[in-house]
Amino acid sequence: MSEQMIATAIEARRASRHYAMGENQVRAVDDVSFTIPAGEFAALLGPSGSGKSTLLNLLAGLDRLTSGGLSVDGHELGAMDSEALARYRRHTVGMIFQSFNLVPAMTLADNVELPLRFAEAPRAGRSERVMELLHSVGLEKRAQHKPSELSGGEQQRAAIARALVNRPRVLLADEPTGNLDTRNGQEVMTLLSELNANTGVTILMVTHDPALASRYARQQLHMADGRLIPNVEGAR
Amino acid sequence: MKRQDLFELAGRNMRNARLRNALTILGIAVGVASLVATCSLGIGLQNFANRQLMRSGMFQTVFVTSRQDVRNMDENAETKPDEQPQITGETRARIAALPGVEEVAPEVRATAEVVYNGQPQFTLLAGLPQSARDEDSVEKVQGRFFSGPNADEVLLQRDFAKKLESDPANVIGKSVTIRYAERQSGEAEGSFSIERHEKAFVIVGLLDEQPFGGMRMISRARVFLPTATAEQMNLMQPADTQQLVRSTPGQKTYSMLTVRMKSAAYAEQVEDAVKKMNFSAYSYLDAARSMRRFFAVLDMFLFLFGSLALVVASLAIVNTLVMAVLERRREIGIMKAVGASDRDVQRLFFAEAATMGLIGGLLGVALGWFIGRAINFGGNVYLSHTMHLPKENLWSVPVWLGLAAVVFAVAVSVLAGLYPAARAARLDPVQSLRYE
Repeated sequence: MSEQMIATAIEARRASRHYAMGENQVRAVDDVSFTIPAGEFAALLGPSGSGKSTLLNLLAGLDRLTSGGLSVDGHELGAMDSEALARYRRHTVGMIFQSFNLVPAMTLADNVELPLRFAEAPRAGRSERVMELLHSVGLEKRAQHKPSELSGGEQQRAAIARALVNRPRVLLADEPTGNLDTRNGQEVMTLLSELNANTGVTILMVTHDPALASRYARQQLHMADGRLIPNVEGAR
Repeated sequence: MKRQDLFELAGRNMRNARLRNALTILGIAVGVASLVATCSLGIGLQNFANRQLMRSGMFQTVFVTSRQDVRNMDENAETKPDEQPQITGETRARIAALPGVEEVAPEVRATAEVVYNGQPQFTLLAGLPQSARDEDSVEKVQGRFFSGPNADEVLLQRDFAKKLESDPANVIGKSVTIRYAERQSGEAEGSFSIERHEKAFVIVGLLDEQPFGGMRMISRARVFLPTATAEQMNLMQPADTQQLVRSTPGQKTYSMLTVRMKSAAYAEQVEDAVKKMNFSAYSYLDAARSMRRFFAVLDMFLFLFGSLALVVASLAIVNTLVMAVLERRREIGIMKAVGASDRDVQRLFFAEAATMGLIGGLLGVALGWFIGRAINFGGNVYLSHTMHLPKENLWSVPVWLGLAAVVFAVAVSVLAGLYPAARAARLDPVQSLRYE
């Protein structure tokens, strides 16, 4: 059991997320089951509106299941109250967004420090940790800059640093290169695969670009209309 | 989230919307200032009234009268007149021996003619006990007080002195003759005779105000002499006829004794002791109690009116924070995504509200202090120019009021933050992150 818990980073068991839109019920995620082993670099593919982002938000603990079960690093998300989910977001998962989502009024260092504040990390050693991460993404000289003073690629690298600051077991990336040009996109992807290889962090990346998925991800999940499409190459 | 992080983030957020937050803080400051100014006025007025009453010596004084006194005549009284004793010299000695009693003096008032430079002036004469000097009952003496309890010296009201000299100050040190009616025991039992006498006095000082804050019978006299001197003169007094009818012949009786205690704490005790001796006793403790009630009500109304401005200011806080929640919707989503709990978000908005309340409160106390000073200054200008009254401190900001105002401002601000904070905490992170 514990063997399997460690071996499996993400497990979905008939996970569903439905919501009402006017009279209609939207099945954003519908009866989805899969597992992703620890240390995997997985890609979640599908056209827009297929439910990829909803699934990612569920895994990030930002949204709640309608039915079924989701477990991440041994945490059963359906059983958690909002306080436990907040703790889970702090310590277990890191999230990267297409639009970076840095706080515009804060410097990069402050943005990277933000999760440490919520995690109540000791104040001593915080700035070292922030600088260490900014160094690892090549932004140590930009620490005191505001996000608006940086390129998209730099902003996304800062966002990756922020996602990693509390040493999560799982990194969830929602179209991380969607707003970047090819060169910056490649830089970010290289950074993510290096992280995956060097630190063993499990990565689940949402993308609509099959080429990107084929190039970096060892496991691929395909979604359409809220459901997982079986037997596509790469799905286990 | 740790408190230090909380307030760092709150401070940062407030600096990002500097103008809006500054205006809100100013609103709170004005609210607190109005509260502090009105309350300090209430407290100042209460202190002023207390000072006036203290000056009058009222709280330290018990007035003793015989129950036979016309003023106390009560046909339904349970005790018969012959059981109602006269106030005699012996009574006086017994009261003087009571614990806490400092001085027992009769109230001596008489009409007399004052002759200055050969010019007679008909006026009212009264005895002033020596204790009046110690108790601040006689204010602003130009010249000096009596040199001793038996001195042949007088103090004049300034208005009266104006009748004697064009510059009233010139009368000080001059001598004056008082022509008065002296009561002497008559030859027959139960009679007395009245004789006209003259006695020379030195004017030692001028009074600008009525002694005892104008609250005693003797306050309205124009010429004051030491009570002991007045007693020795056997001045014919208005109540003498009454005494003649009622008193045991040959015995000196008093219509009223003024008993002065070392402190107001003895008043009740002395009053009870005097009542047990079967005399009427009256003190101003009851009046003081009702005065305190009056000021409690006044303070409450002043507080209510003063806090109105703060209530308005609290609406500004609600508005500012609701705007901030709308504006920072995405930021709240980001914070939740990186691990903020609902409670963290809520506390962040509380911290911002409390910070605004604290800064506004401190500024407001300072502002209120200045407004209070201005009111005091203006009030005094009015008092001295229009009513020719001396300067008074009508206004007081005790430390507790300043502290209470700041605490109140913070409490009201946090209360105003309740709704915006709850709204921010409730935000759905997925929706908020989509918000542009």
